[in-house]
Amino acid sequence: MMIHVKLIANYRDQLPPEAKNGVVEIDVPDGTSVYDAISRFDIPLDDTSVIVLNGLTVDMNTPLKEGDMVTAFSAIAGG
Amino acid sequence: MYGWHLKILRVNLTTKKVTQEDVDPKIARDYLGGRGWAIHYLYNEMDPMADALSPENVLIFATGPLTATPAPTGNRYMVVTKSPLTGALAHSNSGGEFPTWMKRTGFDMFIFEGKSSEPVYVYINEYQVEVRSAAHVWGKEVPETTDILKAETSNEARVACIGPAGENLTLMAAIMNDKNRAAARSGVGAVMGSKKLKAVVAMGNKNPPLHNPEGMRELSVTTSKDVGVDIKKGSNLRIYGTAYVPQVTNTLGILPTRNFLQGTFEHTDKIDGIALKEQFLIKHVPCYRCPISCGRLTEVPDGPYKGKGEGPEYETISSLGTGCGVSNLAALTKANYLCNEYGMDTITTGMTIAAAMEMYEKGYISEEIIGMPLPFGDHDAMIAMIKKMAYREGFGNDLAQGSYRLAEKYGHPEIAVTARKQEFPGYDPRGSQGMGLLYATSNKGASHMEGDVAYEEVFGVPVKENPLTTDGKAELVKRFEDSFTLIDSAGLCVFLAIRYVFSKERMVWPERLSEMMNLTTGAGYTPEEVMLAAERVYNLERMFLIKAGSTEDTLPHRMLHEPLPDGPAKGMVVQLDKMLPEFYKLRGWDEKGVPTKEKLQELGLPH
Repeated sequence: MMIHVKLIANYRDQLPPEAKNGVVEIDVPDGTSVYDAISRFDIPLDDTSVIVLNGLTVDMNTPLKEGDMVTAFSAIAGG
Repeated sequence: MYGWHLKILRVNLTTKKVTQEDVDPKIARDYLGGRGWAIHYLYNEMDPMADALSPENVLIFATGPLTATPAPTGNRYMVVTKSPLTGALAHSNSGGEFPTWMKRTGFDMFIFEGKSSEPVYVYINEYQVEVRSAAHVWGKEVPETTDILKAETSNEARVACIGPAGENLTLMAAIMNDKNRAAARSGVGAVMGSKKLKAVVAMGNKNPPLHNPEGMRELSVTTSKDVGVDIKKGSNLRIYGTAYVPQVTNTLGILPTRNFLQGTFEHTDKIDGIALKEQFLIKHVPCYRCPISCGRLTEVPDGPYKGKGEGPEYETISSLGTGCGVSNLAALTKANYLCNEYGMDTITTGMTIAAAMEMYEKGYISEEIIGMPLPFGDHDAMIAMIKKMAYREGFGNDLAQGSYRLAEKYGHPEIAVTARKQEFPGYDPRGSQGMGLLYATSNKGASHMEGDVAYEEVFGVPVKENPLTTDGKAELVKRFEDSFTLIDSAGLCVFLAIRYVFSKERMVWPERLSEMMNLTTGAGYTPEEVMLAAERVYNLERMFLIKAGSTEDTLPHRMLHEPLPDGPAKGMVVQLDKMLPEFYKLRGWDEKGVPTKEKLQELGLPH
């Protein structure tokens, strides 16, 4: 199934060249979790990253559905 | 005494009398400095019911004990006064260079009272203080005013001043320092304008001695290294400034869009930090000695929006940009420059124009009244409105009163997205419930700077909280409000806590801050004592609000009754009633939000 991964700001460097506006579409097997999907990218998977599914705070073991968007950004204050 | 000078400069603008006063060391310790000292004096010296633009209002500039020390980000000052926008309390914070220069005059705090009959500026060169005519700079914009006053005093001096907006009593007028930094919110520039005080020029070489200079130097180096680790791991603030944030808030569906009619903006890519870096960034501009360096010098090199200055930062992008539906980055950057030059808060300016745009589109305000069409996304109309607001020309006079009064005048108060009549910053609280409680209860009206729980709900600092739930948010808001009160009182920047400095593991908060305070002042605070002092300050501010009649902790119609139509928070409103009673209980306030006698006694406040 096809899902989207969006990496924000400094994490964008880890996206493949085909990514557009910080988003890449990837093909993953059924049963792939949020953690599995984001593990494909070279970003920290500890509490220095924020990872959300369709903009929502979820368990990292949540299985993905066709068309889902997993987004990651560095945990640092802004605003 | 160490750390604090324990000296206040008092300038009566009516009589031009200048006096110096000593500060009681017990008051100094109990109220920390900066924002804390300022509310102690404001509360005792003025009637909170007085008109904010009358001579009875008192305008206070206050540094903290860590201002002008080696402490990383120790370069902030507070402007504290009664707000003409909210009718309650203003405490606006700024960095740049002026705060350190102010502290080096030998005074911790300046108090301006009364009202001059003609434009003046105050030049403070250590203990030599002059009230000088400002007739020749009255009417001039911020950059030119700054250059002229430095030329006629000293190039070594630093200038805080108002622009035309402050002179004209525009209610979103800021006090600008070092040209591009702003004590922006709540109309503090209008208070300065009402006193005919055009500028404050400060210089000197009188740093107070530190209690333990060697220890302070070591701890500051350690803390700078910690911040350096934060910056390296989460380099967004260094690379993009706060302009990286629209992508985050857009992802979470809390990016204020078209006056909060939506929570996502379809053109975020056109106006975010990456676009800014690629198109207009010249270089990073840190505040004095700041290891974070989130400021940005930019230039629009040509075309109709040609200009040079600082910004836009996130809060400007979310107000003059997405708030107004504007996706032209050059125009948005120009709008930011204009606000700096006229001396205006970009948040209230942008969100007031956004409210007017919605009212225009709904037919509540006609093109004839405005003088031109004003639909969402019309960046040229937005720029035209900014100038009209600064000079209160035509419809600009309505806009200059802020969105609350604008919406009320034209019969549609439900359009204004304000708390205590102050416009919301860049986080839609329907998708960030803790921010909703913060805006509703904030002592200065809607503001993220009052206790930015978006650190946890949005940015995961130090831990990620679910922004859509209300559980635990009362405790979170209280903790952040007290923490930010301490940072504001100490003279530091809230970005010191950008990541690890706020972490439980490193125990920097409040342990390291109390240690810094002790190495600087010798006051011997425990971590519990600095937090109690912060709570004392917060409660005294609350008492000022109550005496000013600003007693209702609530949110506007849109936040409580109009569910977000889009994005991850679709269908949500702010569940304020689920959080407010618990918050009052945690604060030791009664069911109406008034501090109980027992709480005031515990804090050593008058009761």
